[in-house]
Amino acid sequence: MHFKIAWRMFWRELRKGELWIIAFALVLAVVTVVSLTGITESVRSALMQRSSSFMAADKVLRSPIPFNSAYFDTAAQLQLTSARQMQFNTMVFADDVMQLVSVKAVSAEYPLRGKLVLKATDKIVELTPGHVYVEKRVMQLLQLDIGDKLSIGATELILGGVIDQEPDAPTAGFTGQPRILMHINDVAATQVVQPGSQINYRYLFAGTEAQLKQLQTSLEAKLTPSDRWQQVDRSSSIGSALDRAEKFLLLAGLLGIVLAACASAVAATRYSERHRMAVAVIKALGMTERQTKLLYFSQLLLITMLSMIIGLILGQLACFGAQFLIEKWVPDFVPVFSARPLLIGIATAFICSMLFALRPVLRLAEVPSLEVLRQGAPSVRLDVVHLVTGAVAVFGLMWMFSQDWVTSALLFIGCAIFAGVLLLLAALLVRIVKPVAAGQSSALQLALANLRRRLWANSFQLITFSLAIFLTLLLYFIRVELIGQWQAQVPANAPNHFMVNINDQQKLELTTALQQQQLSAGKFYPMISGRILSVNGEMLQEPEIPDSAENGQKSQQTKNDNKRQGFGRELNLTWLSELPTNNQLTSGKWFAAESRAEVSVEARSAERMKLTLGDKMALSIGGQEVTATVTSFRKVDWNSLQPNFFVILSPDLMVDFPANYMTAVHIPAERADLLNEVARQFPTVSVISVSAILTQINEIITQVSVALSVIMVLVFAAAVLVLIAQVQASLDQREQEIAILRTLGATKAFLLKAVVYEYLVLGLLAGGFATVLVEALLSVLQVRLFELPFQLHPMLWWMGPTLGAVIIVSLAMVQLRGLLNMPSAVLLRRALHA
Amino acid sequence: MNELPSVFIETRNLQKTVQLPSSSLTILTDINLTINRGQSVAIVGASGSGKSTLLGILAGLDQATQGEVFLAGQALHQMSDDERAALRAKKVGFVFQSFLLLPALTALENVTLPAELAGLKDARAKGLALLEQVGLAERADFFPAQLSGGEQQRVAIARAFITKPEILFADEPSANLDANTGEMVENLLFDLNQQQGTTLVLVTHKASLAERCQAQLVMQSGRLTRSTDSGANHAL
Repeated sequence: MHFKIAWRMFWRELRKGELWIIAFALVLAVVTVVSLTGITESVRSALMQRSSSFMAADKVLRSPIPFNSAYFDTAAQLQLTSARQMQFNTMVFADDVMQLVSVKAVSAEYPLRGKLVLKATDKIVELTPGHVYVEKRVMQLLQLDIGDKLSIGATELILGGVIDQEPDAPTAGFTGQPRILMHINDVAATQVVQPGSQINYRYLFAGTEAQLKQLQTSLEAKLTPSDRWQQVDRSSSIGSALDRAEKFLLLAGLLGIVLAACASAVAATRYSERHRMAVAVIKALGMTERQTKLLYFSQLLLITMLSMIIGLILGQLACFGAQFLIEKWVPDFVPVFSARPLLIGIATAFICSMLFALRPVLRLAEVPSLEVLRQGAPSVRLDVVHLVTGAVAVFGLMWMFSQDWVTSALLFIGCAIFAGVLLLLAALLVRIVKPVAAGQSSALQLALANLRRRLWANSFQLITFSLAIFLTLLLYFIRVELIGQWQAQVPANAPNHFMVNINDQQKLELTTALQQQQLSAGKFYPMISGRILSVNGEMLQEPEIPDSAENGQKSQQTKNDNKRQGFGRELNLTWLSELPTNNQLTSGKWFAAESRAEVSVEARSAERMKLTLGDKMALSIGGQEVTATVTSFRKVDWNSLQPNFFVILSPDLMVDFPANYMTAVHIPAERADLLNEVARQFPTVSVISVSAILTQINEIITQVSVALSVIMVLVFAAAVLVLIAQVQASLDQREQEIAILRTLGATKAFLLKAVVYEYLVLGLLAGGFATVLVEALLSVLQVRLFELPFQLHPMLWWMGPTLGAVIIVSLAMVQLRGLLNMPSAVLLRRALHA
Repeated sequence: MNELPSVFIETRNLQKTVQLPSSSLTILTDINLTINRGQSVAIVGASGSGKSTLLGILAGLDQATQGEVFLAGQALHQMSDDERAALRAKKVGFVFQSFLLLPALTALENVTLPAELAGLKDARAKGLALLEQVGLAERADFFPAQLSGGEQQRVAIARAFITKPEILFADEPSANLDANTGEMVENLLFDLNQQQGTTLVLVTHKASLAERCQAQLVMQSGRLTRSTDSGANHAL
């Protein structure tokens, strides 16, 4: 029977009471969490799928030792699919023409992920034993047509087609030899594989995360020291980057969630104040305290369930929308449903409801029934328990999203300090104007007096709106000003294409070809791949990039900060006699003509490797070990878009090494057809378009901005909700004040002005605080992140306060308009009957 | 020779003291009274004389600091909050000065609320019948905000009688109403009271209303100084 009463009251209150604010706040919190988590999971899934296609498998085991069938047996037992792949370099012959090529021999199951497309003219063909499939330039180099024969080792194979699409093709431009694809069954016939041959054997596996994890565990004991699981660099770095992005987005979104929860707390407090008499009546009529608690707890539970369901549905719809967009970007994307965002959404709804709104509602049950005869005043003391449960909830949500105690604690303390500072500033400002407010002889003075009277509630609004405006301004200025400023740094005619794999002979020919087109190549930089092995005999610690399929929750690198940190990969090394123009020595001396075995290192990398001048660096270049003395550190202007190098060797070291060259050239957009001409004349030269990369970077920035804009909208919505809740909470008191003032002769215009002034001051303060914060943060980003010169942003200083004033005044007027226009008689009657 | 009616309410040496920040205030001192079943009693006195406090204790809404209170033979002074609430649900009806209808419920739902709390069947039918009696059957689905003061008080009276309480406590039932409406409400109260044979205890400033009751208890500075008419035994 009591549930029936609760249900009835619930629907009535939802329509016309404060429950809709609580409902809206909870919906907002759940939508924020579900959409942010779900969208990140979808993006992660898409990128993982894409990354797997980059590997042609979910997991790859590399080995220099011939295949061990036991590994494949283990995989089969775990119901994983597998494929084999061999890679080796060899000479191929077509009549009298020969060419060194990189051969990839694959089994029929290849690829396990991604697409392999082989074409003979325009027809798609299948990988077939007895045939080879080549890169286009191989046909040019060997002067072959489809159907021609070429010899690999002891066998002849037919050219079956061209490789049109290959999932695990190496990055274009930095590969050595042209590539050929063949069926693994043909390898034996080539007799290329001999004892001591340098062959890369790859085991490809595909399956679920659990299966792959089990495989790795099962094979651990069987692997040889030279076997390596391929750390899919892209996916690992993407996976861990996505982990960080998700945490950042959630923590940023947490601001909106906390604001929404605070709005629900304010609404719940008002709800309980307005229900004091109702509780006194039903207790007088015979309801016990326990039954009363149950009645109101039921209402809160109903509103939580309803809001949670709506929030989950809307959040999931947002996720579906994101998946729809992702499918356009990743054509083979298979949407995967994850329950995790929904579970987090459910947890968030209950945390916000129970820890923010429950206490004021349950305290209702403590209202004595005697209040039917003698109305008591609601307690004006700060409810410390409520404050503590709210703080616990905020910290709990921070931890749930960041999964890191330290980050949560730092963020929590940071927010508390921020709120405290704003509160102090607000209190100080209001005290400063106290003498002005004392008179109350004008609308402005009445407004200031009201501000002072409602200091605690107003400070809360101040904090929430300051934060919301801060986020809006920050986003705008980062996108428009900072990035624009950064892009403007790049000279108009800066190189926008890199040409690589240029051999010595081609340097002059290429320069001539470009000059004929009224273009000029930049300086030619010699390049070779190498790896830094040690410094002063001490091996470098390579960064562990966690495979997020293995360590789903571990996203931090475990590293010993005392050790020298390596790059974890081969570098493109160069050797120069002159210091590049966009490099600046920070210490040491550049190579002299008589310099022998010296090396110059980029300054930040040197810091990471804990280098000092005079250190001996050992490098592995082309299978040989080379030692060089560190003689200088350089600061590199990466914004110049010129070829830049972490490590530059003195020329004497590289005399006996072969080199490919790289240069940079500016090709105007309207002359883009020149690229085809270059490709035709110099088929072995690869051209990398920087503008395409810049466009991609811009796209990424745009996408990130979209994500941040979503958060900004959510935070703003939450801040608006808090303002609405606060204004609603003050309505009763305002109504009485207005009734009295009207009775005493105040006109509607006077009261309107007073309300406008009150919220105008609040808005200017909120906008002002936000402006100061944004300017401070922009300065840090400008100088530290974008490496731009410091400058103020004059536009910010009028945008911030104006935005605050306009928004807060508008919102307040929408809510108070009805009250201000109410006839005096009605106001008085309502005040008397209150 | 008339038989004495059975005692429904009795107090012995009742005292109520409240603690203030720096002192204590005695609101009621040495109240001894009896009210018989079916009797109508008015508690009168100046503002601040302790009328409402006494009403609250007699109704089980508050507890005395000292003394004993018996309602329907049960010792209120020995009961917990919940026990007194349960007793009120079964035996007590209320009419308040400010009507105190729940704004989220319709007129009918307000009337049936006590019956639902007491778990009575046919609450709706009983509620409609009572609304008919108070002349508001057509306003059953109206919310309190849509009713005039007099109409709200009539709904409150209907609410008070739905559980057929053994005793009705009324606190200034017509104070917020104009003279005509107030008189109508008072008539309704006494008519229903007579119909159901409920004991009636009301607090009032109005002499005319007090005179309609069978007995009057006069409060002055927290003490019961005088009573008029028979049927109510008291100690002065």
